[in-house]
Amino acid sequence: MTAKRLRAIALLAFSMVFLLAWAFPIIWSVLNSLKTDSDVLAYPPKLVFSPTLEAYRDVLFGSGSILPNLLSSAIISVGTTIVTMLMAVPAAYALARLRFRGKKFAGFYVLATQMLPPVGIIIPYFLVLRNIGWIDTYQGIILIYLSFSLPFAIWLLVSYFEDIPFEMEEAAYLDGASRLKTLWLIIIPQVRGGIAVTVVFVFLNAWNEFLFAVVLSGNTVRPVTVAMFNFVSVEQTLWAKLAAVSVLAMLPVVVLGVVAQKHIVKGLTVGAVKGGGRR
Amino acid sequence: MSGQGQVSFRNIVKMHGEFAALKGVNFEIKPGEFFALLGPSGSGKSTTLRILAGLDAPTAGRVLIDDKDVTSTDARDRDIAMVFQSYALYPHMTVAENIAFPLEMARLPKAEIASAVHEAARKVKIDHLLDRKPGQLSGGQQQRCALARAIVRKARLFLLDEPLSNLDAKLRLETRAELKKLQRSLGVTAVYVTHDQEEAMTLADRMAVFMSGEIQQIGTPAEVFARPNSIDIAGFIGNPPMNLVPARYVDGDVIIAGHRLKTTTTTAGERDVVVGFRPGALRMTEGGLGARVDLIEDLGDTAVLDLDCAGIMIRMRVSDGNIPGEGETISITTRPQDIHLFDPTTRMRL
Repeated sequence: MTAKRLRAIALLAFSMVFLLAWAFPIIWSVLNSLKTDSDVLAYPPKLVFSPTLEAYRDVLFGSGSILPNLLSSAIISVGTTIVTMLMAVPAAYALARLRFRGKKFAGFYVLATQMLPPVGIIIPYFLVLRNIGWIDTYQGIILIYLSFSLPFAIWLLVSYFEDIPFEMEEAAYLDGASRLKTLWLIIIPQVRGGIAVTVVFVFLNAWNEFLFAVVLSGNTVRPVTVAMFNFVSVEQTLWAKLAAVSVLAMLPVVVLGVVAQKHIVKGLTVGAVKGGGRR
Repeated sequence: MSGQGQVSFRNIVKMHGEFAALKGVNFEIKPGEFFALLGPSGSGKSTTLRILAGLDAPTAGRVLIDDKDVTSTDARDRDIAMVFQSYALYPHMTVAENIAFPLEMARLPKAEIASAVHEAARKVKIDHLLDRKPGQLSGGQQQRCALARAIVRKARLFLLDEPLSNLDAKLRLETRAELKKLQRSLGVTAVYVTHDQEEAMTLADRMAVFMSGEIQQIGTPAEVFARPNSIDIAGFIGNPPMNLVPARYVDGDVIIAGHRLKTTTTTAGERDVVVGFRPGALRMTEGGLGARVDLIEDLGDTAVLDLDCAGIMIRMRVSDGNIPGEGETISITTRPQDIHLFDPTTRMRL
């Protein structure tokens, strides 16, 4: 009994330490965002301070407001997510279901594109965009994001489609449904968990992307990740503002995560139990 | 009610690479008939059903429904309803939505759909479950939901792919009887795939027995039972199956373990044969074939005896009150008309 209790306590303590290590950057950001610049730089760090919303006021309504940047990020992320899903769902369905020449190769190719280190292709991407005049445009940055979000989304979705029994589709054909209607009315409702998971990941990747955004855009199109970078300069780093923007930039993703949580949990456990993905 | 539901398979071949799943299958199904495709697994019966449904295309041959060539017609344009072994219910839809789906695809008016759904659900006794999702139903209820979805459309052909195999034994027997009544009352042509010969025997008006990609016999269950075409069918139909014993044929008699039995054949001559006789066709008699009782399986009203006749295993069905003891030696015989003769090389009936 006592041994069991001791073990439970040890486990709890261990978990707490682990959790704290993980949560620390987020907690620290939130705390810093509520401090004044001098409080941020105080050494040793001040644990007790009078919280202020000054940093938030500055970054939201000051001269360098990040509201337009949040809007930019939203346009890019939502645009990328919509276009990705519109293309990935039919592609994943085709890879999961149809028999065609080169299917294996196509499946591998999709995965192989994920193996390229982004920094290695950033110059070619820049040249391509410059040649078609899409540098620093929404369509340009969305196009580039598609090149890695699409393979990722397809690859993720295929496994969900493969979980749907063939017979269900055949039943729909015999009931008089076309292939497209079957996909729309029978298959997609059953992979909505997988679609939710994919949407969250694609949105998250686009929202947090920095490297491509900073090289391929930055003036007209300036997502929040690039805007944040302006708080870091050679002379100084505006820690409180940086922290405030970080917290603000985190919010949409957190909201999306909470909204989709029910589906995500279901989506992630698909295949664990036979038929677990259905409903 | 559209069409009549007459089916004709003409020389259907299905190849999977080098493997011939169907080697030239021919049969006709009459309108309103309950037709069973019976055979062990891998014999081609399910492939045949899938080709009829339009879910697989034959490599060669033609499929005719109501005298119209449908070989290259899409599944959804064939006006065929099917019940799958797994039921293939749509898990995200309620029972009512599941049943309504084929009608919605046919763009029927809402009011008509609603009444048809209720009617179909009532026929299979699930009208109290219409708001449930398939996941909330028992196996038997799911099976009924699949049946309702198939009958709601009044299609000209009704295909069933081992629909009872996922039910427990008691429910299977009940549903079997109901299925037959349902088919009779609807007057629809039904094609039923099963590996269970008892199901085929009890349900079918006629049946086709499949063996390794070919139909070996077509006929009423009684015909197939009474005159099996081949050794394989003889060993497949009937429970327990027919005794099949290698023997010598001499001028109208067969000699088994030194004992002569009369047959109905009268041709003179001598040859090796395989003799078949049903366990139920054996009688105990004086001066017959001597056999030792190895094992008794008591089934209540009858018993099945495993007999050893000089090294040959023979099974015999006896009725209650007449059961010898284990280890006892008895003497058995059978009537000439109950003896079936097969060629040991071609395996066909003589």
